Amino acid sequence: MKSKLLIVLAKEWKDALRDKRAMALLALFVVMYPLMIGFMLNRIISRSTTPEREGIELTVVGAERAPTLMTMFKQKNINVHASEPLTEDATGALLRTRKTVGLLKIDAAFSENYAAMRPARVELWFDSAVDNGHKLDEVEDVLRKYGTAVASARLLAHGVSPVTLMPVAVQRYDTGTSASRSGVLIGAMMGSFFVPVFMFCLSTAVDGTAGERERRSLEVLMAQPVRAAQLIGGKILCGTALAAVGFGLELMFAHGILKWLPLEEIGMSWRLTVADLGLVYLTTLPLCLFAAAFETALAMNAKSFREAQSTVSLAVMVPIIPAVIVPTLDLQTAAWMYDVPVLSQITLLRELAKGQALGLLPYVQAFATSLVAGLACYAFAARRLGSEKYVLSV
Amino acid sequence: MIEVKDVSKTFGAVRALDGVAFTARDGQITGLLGPNGAGKTTLLRTLVGLLQRDSGSIAVDGVDPAAEPLRVRQNIGLLTDQFGLYERLSTREYLTYFGELNGMAKADIRSRIAEVAALLGMDDILARRSKGFSQGQRIKVALARTLLHRPRHLLLDEPSRGLDVMSTRALRRALEALRADGCCVIMATHVMQEVVHLCDDVVVIAKGRTVAQGTPAQLCERTGISNLEDAFVSLVGEEGIVA
Repeated sequence: MKSKLLIVLAKEWKDALRDKRAMALLALFVVMYPLMIGFMLNRIISRSTTPEREGIELTVVGAERAPTLMTMFKQKNINVHASEPLTEDATGALLRTRKTVGLLKIDAAFSENYAAMRPARVELWFDSAVDNGHKLDEVEDVLRKYGTAVASARLLAHGVSPVTLMPVAVQRYDTGTSASRSGVLIGAMMGSFFVPVFMFCLSTAVDGTAGERERRSLEVLMAQPVRAAQLIGGKILCGTALAAVGFGLELMFAHGILKWLPLEEIGMSWRLTVADLGLVYLTTLPLCLFAAAFETALAMNAKSFREAQSTVSLAVMVPIIPAVIVPTLDLQTAAWMYDVPVLSQITLLRELAKGQALGLLPYVQAFATSLVAGLACYAFAARRLGSEKYVLSV
Repeated sequence: MIEVKDVSKTFGAVRALDGVAFTARDGQITGLLGPNGAGKTTLLRTLVGLLQRDSGSIAVDGVDPAAEPLRVRQNIGLLTDQFGLYERLSTREYLTYFGELNGMAKADIRSRIAEVAALLGMDDILARRSKGFSQGQRIKVALARTLLHRPRHLLLDEPSRGLDVMSTRALRRALEALRADGCCVIMATHVMQEVVHLCDDVVVIAKGRTVAQGTPAQLCERTGISNLEDAFVSLVGEEGIVA
């Protein structure tokens, strides 16, 4: 004779697979997260691999009045496009096309003022609504340097050392690499791998408890010769199985995408072998149990299907928080991290992706703590289902 | 045989059962009559061990549902006043599920489904999923589930509601067959005609107490009223005055 728990599991499984909406949601989550992560990483990679200065385009009116300035632009890889004088509207229109970073207008009186050592006016027109990054800064930097060079030459002509104009000499060093800059983002992405685990079992958890209660089939079920622990256990196991299958598919899909992306370009890596993945999957199985048990324990107490849905969707945020927040805190990997469900699996995956050898302990920690949390939720749900108070509310 | 002695149950300040006592014998259909709120649902839930009584004793074939609920349930078919089916399962799958929960073997379930379906006249809906079933079809499926594991005791809460004439007759035939088999049937109902036609014994309860037990004829005799419905009103009314 089959165990009652397996009978309940088989029925719930059949029921869940026939729920087209839930299955569509599951398929969506399987595909969505790996695709999203792949897409974002791909953007980071393509941004960091394109040359820093791909050439800055600058339109100049009256370029012939300041030939030295034009030469300096050219040296800084800024392409100067000479233009006829433009009206204000035409200037605006030109800037909106984004073909040029700015428009430099050199006054007709420029040469005269320059020769007379009066401030020679140039106008820099730009559209601040267009994000040009540092390109405009570079144009301005050249203008500043040009001014300094002219001033130095004039001072020198008066017998004053131009060094007096530079009381402070700033030398800048940037130690940031594109990899460390994207580290936080990548950590958050790893975290979001585990979010779907909580989504895969959600509809079963709600449907098998609050749904049954609302459809009035729960009382009959409870009056069968089945222990409450077996009844709720079968339902929780069904959610666990769904989460496990969903996560397995998601992991394989993600593995394919991450293997294919040239992550080395941004100093990241995905050095997981199939055996590593198998271990990560194994340590995630008790997390699936925890997700299903946690959601079932919550959903069974809701008064209606809708209430259960909203409560559970909200409450699911709690275990997901470490998945999203902790990576952004930029903490050093520590042993305690392997004791927190969800966070433990994320940390494991991140360390493995880096190619770290971990030893057995972290796996055991991650497995055991999630299992304990899952069993605690299961025990609570079983106790609750068997209580008289619950019977009265059915 | 179900023996209930002085069972009481309180929920906070409400006394849902207040010393209810009766005996339902094998091979008899015992009607359970009582106004709404008399404690019928609480009584049925206590009988299958879903609720624990505060005092008194219950024996279902000598087994106490409070002590061994699973053993008692194994031998009881319960039809509640409200029940839902599983929309994504066919009738056959639904019945198989409950057959398995009651520990029946696969082959036994298959042959038993055929028997029950013939008894209730529901062959046409066996392969269909229950989405869109009429009230009559739903109650037939639920009844089939109740009878499937050949329980010696049946607790039926208004089994004929929503049934058309043909189905009511089918139900009546089914209950008579079970009685002939020696089953102990307790049927809560509000239809006096049904009580007169089917019940060998009637238990009238009001406010959680047994007001009277006897055959329909005995109840009429006791109240001196020839019409059972009027007799029932009089019995419940008496109790109302006492309380």
